[in-house]
Amino acid sequence: MHLQTAEYDLSSHADVYEPSEDSFLFLDALEEEFGNLVDLKPLNIVEIGSGSGVIITSLAKALKNANFFAVDINMSACKATQMTGELNATAIQPLCMDLLGQFKENMFDVIVFNPPYVVTDSEELCGNGINRAWAGGKDGREIIDKLLPKIPNILSCKGIFYLLLLKENKPKEVIDFMFTLGFAHKIIKERKLLGEYLYIVKFNK
Amino acid sequence: MRLGLTPAFLVKIVSSVVLIPARSVHKSELVKMKLLTHNMLTSKSMKGVTVGYPLGINVVDIKVTEVDFNPEFISRIIPKLDWSVLWKAADTIGQLDDLPKELSQEYENDNDFLKKVHHVLLEVDIVNGELVCPETGRKFPINNGIPNMLLNEDEV
Repeated sequence: MHLQTAEYDLSSHADVYEPSEDSFLFLDALEEEFGNLVDLKPLNIVEIGSGSGVIITSLAKALKNANFFAVDINMSACKATQMTGELNATAIQPLCMDLLGQFKENMFDVIVFNPPYVVTDSEELCGNGINRAWAGGKDGREIIDKLLPKIPNILSCKGIFYLLLLKENKPKEVIDFMFTLGFAHKIIKERKLLGEYLYIVKFNK
Repeated sequence: MRLGLTPAFLVKIVSSVVLIPARSVHKSELVKMKLLTHNMLTSKSMKGVTVGYPLGINVVDIKVTEVDFNPEFISRIIPKLDWSVLWKAADTIGQLDDLPKELSQEYENDNDFLKKVHHVLLEVDIVNGELVCPETGRKFPINNGIPNMLLNEDEV
């Protein structure tokens, strides 16, 4: 199964992160996972920090009979995701939200997260602009670490969580922490891209 | 590559434009807020809020669009719903039709019923309005179908 990359047009959304090598690596990983995703028969799928919306929309184009949600802290990104959904004739529900704090518990069968992973000063984690697309604070982990403890309350019991990590994020620490929450892991893809060593990790129970 | 650390990169990311040929035919329109989404949202992450569910709905305008009906899919959604919350939400926005207040036992085989649920869940869109925290009265605006659920620092 080929996961066709969704069309997008960010010409009216200058303050939204443009899909880049990390986004396309994520799509490659989801393509590899496609058979497993079909078998899972997911009902609700969400992307955190959807930006342009290219990842969730590509998934929505390929996977039928699921509800697709996309949250972003940047309202401009929510609008871009909404437009990308339209451009590809898919139904994506955008919401402006900080992570998934206002959803009822255990609603999602699939979570996709390409986080702000760049190592920055903690002070850069402010506002709701494009800086939030990459600024990760200490070890590039501050936002990732905010989400991880909540995963058991967000995912359904059969749920899968896909996370992109940078080598500097110390993936082993993340994997070990998720293990303490009862999650097994599998590295779906790893690739060195323009000086960044990236991993796509799958977590499930 | 998302190293926004240097000003040069920053400028590159912010100013880059991807030109996609315009498609002449759009099958769908911008997705607005569904009652399915309302059914899944709470305000319990707010300081001082204990349940925060269900959120109230104030509607400015709604839109009804036709979506392909898949009874099997609707049957799979129903067990995940809070039925009474869906019923009340549909009533609030005047889209109840004759949706039964109680969920029937053998809904999987009741095509008429599933079609009504399909309509309320997936075909009715809130375009503009607001969601309201049931405990604090805090309003979350919905503009052009996107609910803004962001909280201020002093609210969390």
